[in-house]
Amino acid sequence: MARYLIARLGQALIVIVLVTVIAFVILHLLPGGAARATLGKEATLAQLAAFNHEMGYDRPLIQQYGMYVQRLLQGDLGYSYQLNQSVLEAIEQRLPKTMLLSLLSTLVAVVLAIPLGVLQAIRRNRWPDYAITALSLLAYATPIFFLGLMMIIVFSQVWPILPPEAPQGFTVAELLADPAGLVLPTATLAIVTIAVYARYVRSSMIDNLNENYVRTARSKGLSERRVVLRHTLRNGLFPVITLLGMYLPALFSGALVVESLFNFPGMGQLFWQAALKRDFPILLGVTVIISIATVVGALVADLLYAAVDPRVRLRGSAT
Amino acid sequence: MSESIGPTARHSAPAGQAAAGRPLLELRDLDTDIALRRGTVHALDAISLDVAPGQTLGVVGESGSGKTMTALSIMGLLPPGGRVAGGQILFEGRDLRSLPTDEVRRIRGVRMGMVFQDPLTSLNPTIRVGAQVAEPLRVHKRVGRAEARDRAIEILRRVGMPRPERIVDNYPHELSGGMRQRVAIAMALVCSPSLLIADEPTTALDVTTQRQILELIDDLREEFGMAVILVTHDLGVIAGRADRVAVMYAGRIVETAATEQLFHAPRHRYTEALMRALPESALRDSGGHDRLISIPGLPPDLSGPLTGCRFAARCAYVSDECRTTDPSLIPGTHQHACLHPVPTPAGAATGPAPTQVEPAAKPAQVEPTTEPVTAAPADVAELPVLSVRNLVKNYPVRGRGLLRRAAGQVSAVADVSFEVRPGETFGLVGESGCGKSTVGRLSVGLERPSAGQIVLDGTDLTDLTGRERRRMHRQVQLMFQDSYAAMNPRMRVDAILAEPLEIQKVGDSAARQARIATLLDQVGLSRRALERYPHEFSGGQLQRIGLARSLALHPRLIVGDEPVSALDVSIQAQVLNLMRDLQRELGLAYIFISHDLSVVDYMADRIGVMYLGKLVEIGPAREVVRAARHPYTQALVDAVPSIAPDRAATRDGTTIRGELPSALDPPTGCRFRTRCPRAADICTTEPPLAGGRHQVACHLPLRPEPTGTPTQVQAVG
Repeated sequence: MARYLIARLGQALIVIVLVTVIAFVILHLLPGGAARATLGKEATLAQLAAFNHEMGYDRPLIQQYGMYVQRLLQGDLGYSYQLNQSVLEAIEQRLPKTMLLSLLSTLVAVVLAIPLGVLQAIRRNRWPDYAITALSLLAYATPIFFLGLMMIIVFSQVWPILPPEAPQGFTVAELLADPAGLVLPTATLAIVTIAVYARYVRSSMIDNLNENYVRTARSKGLSERRVVLRHTLRNGLFPVITLLGMYLPALFSGALVVESLFNFPGMGQLFWQAALKRDFPILLGVTVIISIATVVGALVADLLYAAVDPRVRLRGSAT
Repeated sequence: MSESIGPTARHSAPAGQAAAGRPLLELRDLDTDIALRRGTVHALDAISLDVAPGQTLGVVGESGSGKTMTALSIMGLLPPGGRVAGGQILFEGRDLRSLPTDEVRRIRGVRMGMVFQDPLTSLNPTIRVGAQVAEPLRVHKRVGRAEARDRAIEILRRVGMPRPERIVDNYPHELSGGMRQRVAIAMALVCSPSLLIADEPTTALDVTTQRQILELIDDLREEFGMAVILVTHDLGVIAGRADRVAVMYAGRIVETAATEQLFHAPRHRYTEALMRALPESALRDSGGHDRLISIPGLPPDLSGPLTGCRFAARCAYVSDECRTTDPSLIPGTHQHACLHPVPTPAGAATGPAPTQVEPAAKPAQVEPTTEPVTAAPADVAELPVLSVRNLVKNYPVRGRGLLRRAAGQVSAVADVSFEVRPGETFGLVGESGCGKSTVGRLSVGLERPSAGQIVLDGTDLTDLTGRERRRMHRQVQLMFQDSYAAMNPRMRVDAILAEPLEIQKVGDSAARQARIATLLDQVGLSRRALERYPHEFSGGQLQRIGLARSLALHPRLIVGDEPVSALDVSIQAQVLNLMRDLQRELGLAYIFISHDLSVVDYMADRIGVMYLGKLVEIGPAREVVRAARHPYTQALVDAVPSIAPDRAATRDGTTIRGELPSALDPPTGCRFRTRCPRAADICTTEPPLAGGRHQVACHLPLRPEPTGTPTQVQAVG
């Protein structure tokens, strides 16, 4: 088990290095440059050159990358002149809030998607299945910004029961103090996720319900309820675990839109504003954090998988 | 119609008492339909059956005959779209179709038990064995957790599970196939049902394990006094175990009788043909290498309307009447639905009358061959096509993790030597995991040996470079068990057959077309096959296409890896005949790999028996099977179920117990000694393969090499 973990962490490190290289190269190929964005239109060429020199932007790319990695290893993600704070600090302020949003929406999605998917599987090709499938496809096909706008229009304009804007608290605790403000952003993110998860649960449950062991369970005279809940559900949820690990970081891209839309002070908004202002240190820092989250998410999913599936458990301890 | 089993009942104890009472289960005109997208399949048509308490009813038939659907209809476990459309299922006098669902479920869970074919997929992979076994108790009898566990251990011990108190906490994947099937049986029996339905319970198992499981079911039947419905395609399994037999064909019962009566004197022409299509029948009747009697064609499609006898299209005795009149079962103790039944030999029902019908009545397609298929194998002067010397194949077992360090090796083939002469069939038998398929793959060059030589036509392949080796390997081609899986589903048959020619750059396009046409003729398929895709063919036709593909490059040797194991008996006979014919016409040699000793016995001139990577016995086919020298070979021979009345009932002979040891760490010395009933101290040293024509690797062989054998030094080794 320990050897497995070490190997996986080694792979994770490689992935993270590759991600930073790619992000680094792409960001520095962008036209315009950070100096103009930071110093504004009025800055002279000399001022720009001085800024670039001070930041090391005039050195060869490889050297810049080397310096970046060196600082990164010391826990220094850089300094944002536009925010006038260190990248780490900026992320530290916002990451918990985005995590709150992601976890809340994932929780809502999973809690709703599993029963929906199971219902679809046991009523396969009958009206509940068709209805949920149609709604899922609709939710899945709707662009998230449009969905968010519709939510705002419906629930805070036409029928004003919820605030259109997220709470502007500085900490997670402050956000939680105003739960009504969290409803719309969470719901918007969750709706798309529900659609994805429900499809997975449905197809996985259908596969498992066709397995021979389910027939064996029925031959024991078990009620349909027990056949589904005790025998099939656990095996049917395995793919969802993998999906969870993969999808949790992917929620970030949704959060990007949702956070801007609802003015939610999280990582998405940070990244969005940094992109507009070409705030390279922030963009790089966020990319690194997301890639770490992705790798860790996949690892956690695998470990979770091994914890619930005895067949995997055995293989892990075979060495 | 609960007729007595009478004097023919083999197992006297409970069956005898049963005859007095009313049947435990009666099926009355049961119709089952399955709705598919392309239409409704009438899977069962007016099935009527009785099962008395304590009785074993054998239901036998080929795939699609409805035997499994009968079992599933009784259990109420029909697949999606399936429903019982008519008739009654009377269990202990009550019609299951008219009872409320909860009541039926309770009956299913407590009074009935079912064992399925595939013990791996039939158990829930994520629930511990003990919990699965005890679940019916917990649900139906409200037994507490601790008691359920004790009861599970008890029943597991009862079904012969070693160390049941540890096994209860295992997961199914940690057990071998035979042990999993024991778990399935324990699960079915935990509530002491009065009816056990076993649907092909041993088809996925090796013969020695099959024997253990069948004996277990028999013992438990006597112990629990329960009735058993044994559903199988294997006539031999039925012959040894059942009191009565129902033969099914195309959704109907065509014949039913007491077991001995049925096997001594079948009346329906289908039953007769089925029994004669068995390789063991050909061997017994002619003592030699006659063509098998095959049943031409395929069973009818059950989704359309059918008139007349459903077997008419394939029957050698068909008359116009058969095609128009729907024959019904003639009532009595021996029922059959045939207008031209096999004449009853006088006294067949009472004494062991010969099964033989007079030669005049033999179907037209029987052509006993006059010449022997191959020359006597003693033609030493002739150079072998293939000579395998001290072949070794080890597979490294890698650890997990980034570095994947080798954690040991599996000894798949350990020092195997044999040769195959031109025009000869060399049979390779053994149970799963013995290395026979690996030998096959090494022989055709799909894998490189870890050590040893492969000599093709006098050329040692180990000396050759890659390209030359591949050129030489054209002479050896492989034929697969599952031809469908071995063909690209998106390629038409013409492309499939042309591919080897194109790869080897043989001839131009016209020459290839001509070659493909010849190939089709040789395997007996029409030209129309060329424009079709693999999924449009039946199993037997696919095997013909597979054979045609392996013939494309004019090989001298074809390695058939279980080439007929997936086929029904009647189709198997067609393919075996074809392989024989082509061998004669083209002078082919075969390596025929199979777990089925009776098929190998029929096909092979010489047989090699493998156990855990070792060749333990090799010699002339008839001698190896009828005068085995190695205890393992004898155990295999004894385990093969047979329809021959004298062999079917025997339950003694060499039986091996226990499980196959791991090839990761095979036993030292003789690898069989851990399971051998004759093992002694000397067996800790490895026995060499010794002898003349009939060699054995055993310190304590069952019998000396037959006298009169010229003790010649073999070129092997």
